Amino acid sequence: MRILYLDTSSSFLYAGIVEDHKLLASCKKNLFHELSKEALPEIIQLFEQTHLAPRQIDKIIVVDGPGSFTGIRVGITIAKVYAWSLHIPITTISALEAMMISSKSKGNHVPMLDARREYVFAAIYDEENRQILSPQHIKLRDLLQKLEEKTYVAITNDSIELPISKESYDPDILKIVETYQEKEEIPVHAVNPNYLKKTEAEEKKG
Amino acid sequence: MKDIYILGIESSCDETSVSIIKNGCEDIATVISSQIDIHKEYGGVVPEIASRCHVENITFVLEECLEKAHMTMEEIDAIAVTYGPGLIGSLLIGLEAAKTLAYLYQKPLIPIHHIAGHIYANSLVKPLEFPLIALIVSGGHTELVEMKGHFEFQKLGGTLDDAIGECYDKVARVLDLPYPGGPKLDQMALLGKNTYPLPVPLKEDRYNFSFSGLKSAVINLAHKKAQQKEPLRKEDLATSFQKVAVESIVSKTKKALLDKNIQHLIVAGGVAANQGLRKEITAMAEEIGVDVSFPPMKYCTDNAAMIAAAGYYAYNLGIRAYYDLNSESSTSLC
Repeated sequence: MRILYLDTSSSFLYAGIVEDHKLLASCKKNLFHELSKEALPEIIQLFEQTHLAPRQIDKIIVVDGPGSFTGIRVGITIAKVYAWSLHIPITTISALEAMMISSKSKGNHVPMLDARREYVFAAIYDEENRQILSPQHIKLRDLLQKLEEKTYVAITNDSIELPISKESYDPDILKIVETYQEKEEIPVHAVNPNYLKKTEAEEKKG
Repeated sequence: MKDIYILGIESSCDETSVSIIKNGCEDIATVISSQIDIHKEYGGVVPEIASRCHVENITFVLEECLEKAHMTMEEIDAIAVTYGPGLIGSLLIGLEAAKTLAYLYQKPLIPIHHIAGHIYANSLVKPLEFPLIALIVSGGHTELVEMKGHFEFQKLGGTLDDAIGECYDKVARVLDLPYPGGPKLDQMALLGKNTYPLPVPLKEDRYNFSFSGLKSAVINLAHKKAQQKEPLRKEDLATSFQKVAVESIVSKTKKALLDKNIQHLIVAGGVAANQGLRKEITAMAEEIGVDVSFPPMKYCTDNAAMIAAAGYYAYNLGIRAYYDLNSESSTSLC
């Protein structure tokens, strides 16, 4: 089984092709403001490196958020158009879940992303990797209150000031794919970004 | 000669559209998913909402278009896509979809400027005849462009401030017409009389337009009437505004046609659907013996048929983009 993994939820492109528990090729690159321009050419490189054709992929796993709204849309659009046109099963994974899976430390984890204005996108996992708090857009102060009873490690690449220890995020693409490869496929038209936040216009409207 | 089928994708504002056009002129299938009802609630297009809708719609629209055409991606010769100008987040969805399809099916990728698309909407009715002058009137543009051949654009003039469609929408708001007010203002103008004196914009400047002064004059007039508690005859104001706005466009277009001695005029863009403008342009063209072409109503507003039509001629000229094509929010045609 060959799986394509794709995460464009930050300015980094994280992508890889996994075949039978082996990472055949991968890309971890900060594309800064060039993500929309360079994401597809970088994915094409993976196919060239592995001498595989897009049709030889059996499943696509794409990160559906949270993170950069534009970034998420780039990855989701590529992945869903790909899956739709070649009839390839597709499923999604939360960026926060991918962060937790990639963690190298043991214990309770709080993957988080800076959502600005004192907010973060975060989720809480216990030492068995069970989800205690589902991925959400939450005020940092409120999140920290939920962490008072136990010791937690935050996973983030953003410069968020925190009273708990921090671990930086380096995706373990093989581990993410192995954890998610059996996840049920999603009807392709329903594969959409999970922003976890309404647009400002919708918020103002109430 | 082999028939050429171009798949066009357009997502520059609030319409997700996919179309398949044969040989640059025959509409095999066109699907347009409009978000107008969503944005109406906000009084205008909200860019982030538009981008969110595009990503939700894109595969539905692609699928419906291919089904309607009874075609598969393998039968398509090339993929044309609007790369700009427009809302950057919206453009990106069509662009990524087009790039992905072009790669998966190894089809040429053709970058199309949105305004070129509007111009080529006319080739869905009859082939463009050169040299011609294209008058582009839309929510974002008011331009006069000279063309000596396919994809040879020479800008003669443009708006120095607001686009005509933008001006219509803003004036419509003053007249309490719901978004999008431009077409409703056009209807209202049929009912009134030209009684309010309004300033004629940029009388002297060669081919350039200006509509912000006219817009301000209407807003000030309405404001003054409200302050003086005098009734505002909305129909008359609509008629007076339309008369000045249309006259400004028609006179500059006429000047360009005469100065350049050009026999063919094509009108393009969303405001090409304006009845008042159509009538006056047609009369002017008749007067000076110029052949004028308006795209059918359905091709006036944003659609992918015009992108695919333009894509056909670009394809024949060998215009191609690589997979690193990016969208551009503001980019000039020439």
